[in-house]
Amino acid sequence: MNNTGNDKKLDTFLIFIMTALVAISCITLYTLQPHLPGYLSDNNFYLLQLMWFVVGTVGIALIMILDFDRYRKLAWPVYILGILMLAGLFVWGDTRLGATRWYDLPIGSIQPSEFMKVFLVIALAHVITSHNEKWTHKDLKYDLLLLGKIVALTLPPFALIAMQPDLGSSLVIMSIMGFLILISGIRWRVILVILGLFTLIGTALAAMYLLYTEQFIDFINEYTPFGHAIHRIQAWQDPHLYEQSSAMQVIRSMLVIGSGELSGKGIGNFELYIPERHTDMIFTAIAEQFGFIGSSIVIILFFLMIYRIIQIALVCRDPFGTYLAVGFVGMFSYQIFQNIGMSIQLLPLTGLPLPFLSYGGTSLLVYMAAIGLVLNIQSRKKEYMFETDD
Amino acid sequence: MKNKESKSHLPLRLNLLFFLIFLLFSMLILQLGVVQILYGQDAQEEIDRTDQDTSETPVPRGRMFDRTGELIVDNEPILAITYTPPKNVQPDDNLEIAEQLVDYIEVTSDGLLSRVTERDVEDYWILQNFEEAYSRLDDEELELSDSEQYQLVLDRVTDEDLDEISDEEMNVIALFRELNQASALTPHIIKRDIENDEYAVIAENLNRFPGINVTTDWDRVHLFGGSFSNLIGGITTTRQGIPDENLDYFLSRNYSRNDRVGRSGLEDQYEQYLAGQKEVREHITDSSGNVISSELIREGERGKDLVLSVDMELQQRLDEIVGEELTEAIEEHPNEHLNIAMAVMMDPNTGEILAMSGQRYDRDEEDENERLVDESVRVVIDAYMPGSTIKGATVLAGFEEGVISPGEVMSDRTIRLPGDAGDDNTFSSHRRLNSLNDIGALRESSNVYMGFIALRMNDELRHQYDFRNTVMNRTREGYQSMINYYGQFGLGVETGIDFPSETSGTTDPYGDVPLPGELMDYSIGQFFNYSTLQMGQYVSTIANGGYRIAPSLVRQMHSAGDTDGLGPLYKANEPKILNRVDMDDHYIERVQEGFRQAFQESGGTGTTYFGDKDYNPAGKTGTAEDAVYNRGEKIADVNNLNLVGYAPFDDPEVAFAVAVPHTDPNSDHRTNLRIGERALDAYFELQEERQGTTEEELEDEVELEEDNSEEE
Repeated sequence: MNNTGNDKKLDTFLIFIMTALVAISCITLYTLQPHLPGYLSDNNFYLLQLMWFVVGTVGIALIMILDFDRYRKLAWPVYILGILMLAGLFVWGDTRLGATRWYDLPIGSIQPSEFMKVFLVIALAHVITSHNEKWTHKDLKYDLLLLGKIVALTLPPFALIAMQPDLGSSLVIMSIMGFLILISGIRWRVILVILGLFTLIGTALAAMYLLYTEQFIDFINEYTPFGHAIHRIQAWQDPHLYEQSSAMQVIRSMLVIGSGELSGKGIGNFELYIPERHTDMIFTAIAEQFGFIGSSIVIILFFLMIYRIIQIALVCRDPFGTYLAVGFVGMFSYQIFQNIGMSIQLLPLTGLPLPFLSYGGTSLLVYMAAIGLVLNIQSRKKEYMFETDD
Repeated sequence: MKNKESKSHLPLRLNLLFFLIFLLFSMLILQLGVVQILYGQDAQEEIDRTDQDTSETPVPRGRMFDRTGELIVDNEPILAITYTPPKNVQPDDNLEIAEQLVDYIEVTSDGLLSRVTERDVEDYWILQNFEEAYSRLDDEELELSDSEQYQLVLDRVTDEDLDEISDEEMNVIALFRELNQASALTPHIIKRDIENDEYAVIAENLNRFPGINVTTDWDRVHLFGGSFSNLIGGITTTRQGIPDENLDYFLSRNYSRNDRVGRSGLEDQYEQYLAGQKEVREHITDSSGNVISSELIREGERGKDLVLSVDMELQQRLDEIVGEELTEAIEEHPNEHLNIAMAVMMDPNTGEILAMSGQRYDRDEEDENERLVDESVRVVIDAYMPGSTIKGATVLAGFEEGVISPGEVMSDRTIRLPGDAGDDNTFSSHRRLNSLNDIGALRESSNVYMGFIALRMNDELRHQYDFRNTVMNRTREGYQSMINYYGQFGLGVETGIDFPSETSGTTDPYGDVPLPGELMDYSIGQFFNYSTLQMGQYVSTIANGGYRIAPSLVRQMHSAGDTDGLGPLYKANEPKILNRVDMDDHYIERVQEGFRQAFQESGGTGTTYFGDKDYNPAGKTGTAEDAVYNRGEKIADVNNLNLVGYAPFDDPEVAFAVAVPHTDPNSDHRTNLRIGERALDAYFELQEERQGTTEEELEDEVELEEDNSEEE
């Protein structure tokens, strides 16, 4: 991967982790292949995943060509492109199982919300950087204006994705926003007020749900696109009550993960059928085959990846780079926690891929692009530091 | 350095973020530890938990033999392809098998394709175009339950969608449909009656199709064709399965839904014996539905074989006689209302039915040789006015009530009854007769004699022939005791035959006491309707000296044997005596004598036909004046020609009843007598032939022995 030039040093640690995760993905997909239901048996998912990895590598190489701060100029165009793609779904989108999330193109289907995550990170990083460049003095006006800009930028993609409906991805958008608000420079007092407000609203909603369950559910069904999410929350609360319906997946997922025990059942040993096992539920396949040891290694790999990105964010002396990196941390850490958490009943089920592990062309490309940008930040910091030191 | 200043908050907050992420990921690992290490064993045990399932394999149905040991109903083995799905089989799996199997199974035969419904095609289309199909639901509809969603998706499958489906795919759908009908671990027949080469190809490739097998099934064959098959009845096909109306009954007796069960006739009546015991196996499956072990719980046992009371040779002859006589009657005396003739022959001492025939003449059938339709069941379920045949019961009732005494003589003159109709309201015999005693009244069929019995039973004791301008007595008790007396002979009550349905004839339709004229009509069989079988039971009761015995179609049941013949006796149907008529033997003998004279002495209504027979017959003729109605409106006057009888008089071995309803009143064609005569002739001829053959056989054997001794 040294095609980006000799003067730029690549972060081999991050590349190693990413490659290791994709390798684990391919191995798992390969062992899972014979156990997939009939209608999926014609696709060799491990080969497809490998192919997308190669495409993604080329993508990273392309991203490395330009200095990352050049991408600031692209912030608005890509943001608008993302919004247009999301809006276009309402006209040309392909609806599957009740959700309109995809474009059906001859080369395969494309999920714009995946791109939007990266585009939003770029746009937010740019807006925060510009704001901080303009306002040197911090006061309430500074805080509220910055907060307003961040929220205004986040709300359109959030709303468009929520309307698909895609609760999982819209929460990723929220997570990105939350991480960036925290490090944007807004002062603690404002953040604490916001935090307090959210806690209040959250507690109120939870109380309403617990006290007036039926009315609350009716309301959600009637006025929001999140009716399906309520089922998941109920299934999460009491899986055995909904054993035959919405909680079937949770129960089965818990069973196979649990039965992996400490060291797993060994390669190719699967006992129960779990839907979407090659995509969103791939963690169950790892946990079943390789047990607590295997699944912990995967979590540690993810943790190291995030650790490394935060480290890069810290060292980077261009705030734009820092915001970019932290935006991606928000994206990755939420997705990882949500995806793994839902298969071990820490969180309710939502459809979200596990980065680098779940099969899926768009998502792999997007996450590799994010890593590409982080690599880019890391590789330029030395030049930057050298310049400033000079 | 502006940047440095503005970024001074960063390390703290980033470290805070990092710490937060660290906490979250620690939670993941902690929870994983709980799930995998703490409760891992439990999860594994839950997965390993096994289920027990039982499967049942059907056995061949019992066969039927006639009283001489002749096989009537057999099972013909045929080759079939079965599918035994594993547990938790998914539609996708079945579709995959169907797609492969379609190259090996000829789908166009056995009506496989014709059973495909639009719904099947829609289901298939949805399965193939899952995403497109569900994309037709809007958000609100996606909140509905799975089944409601599916219904909506079904509703939205358009004709254009279905047009996409090729003929080849239709074949797949036909097989897919069959595969889906199979229930877990139980063999389901996908295609019956396959050709040998089809069988061979499938058998060679069995390992390619999980769950598919080749096996033998059976078809019910009636070896005597149409004869008696109407009474044997039919069974349902595998596809019809157990009938909806008896679903609970059968399911509670461990039937499966696609079991073939008796649908009518004896197949229905003796279902519990004919069905046999299915082979039961218990399978232990793991949580993914894989069979770990199978154990035989109960051996299958073929159904019991039935030995019927019927004599098929006699049955065939009776069918022929009834059919020929009916055809002749219709052809020589055209009458649009005559279309059926019925006869039953039975052993009066046991109630066993020797032959039972009902032949309907189908005037619309183009082919002259095909016009006769076997409708033997109508002997049991159709009721007609019996006419004078019931006079034996009337006379016995009169004796027992003490309203007449043996030998009492009456003058057979027209009785005039009160009423507006004047001269028309009279009651007289079929022709003017001389003075007669009880026996003579039966011999020559006096209506007047019977009429007086009825009047006297109703407290109208005046012996006069002109009741005009008088008020006649009638009593509830008298009417009720008439009903009771006839009932003792089986007239107006069920005969108790071992058959799923029978008519009890008309039972009191009024509630009120009928008019005196109607009571008199009652006494001569002009009031209530009875079935031919009821008439057979009635005459048997007189023939055997007063025992009303339930008619039976089955003599014995045999367990399945090792050979083609009958196995060991399982159960015999003993004659079932329903009641003994409470009348003196002496009285019964007088009625028997009256019957004998009716068939053998000069003046007897049947003597022309039976007078010269050496089998010593006895019986009673009857012509009921009836009418044919259409929507409550009388459209024609008709006669019902009836006959009951038995032979030999002194030691009856066969009793019979004949009914030829709705003949032309102006014709003198004695179809009833012709059938009765030929039926009795046939019976005794057959007895003689059999006697002859057994003697000849004996002689042959003796000769053989002699030959052997000569050789020695």
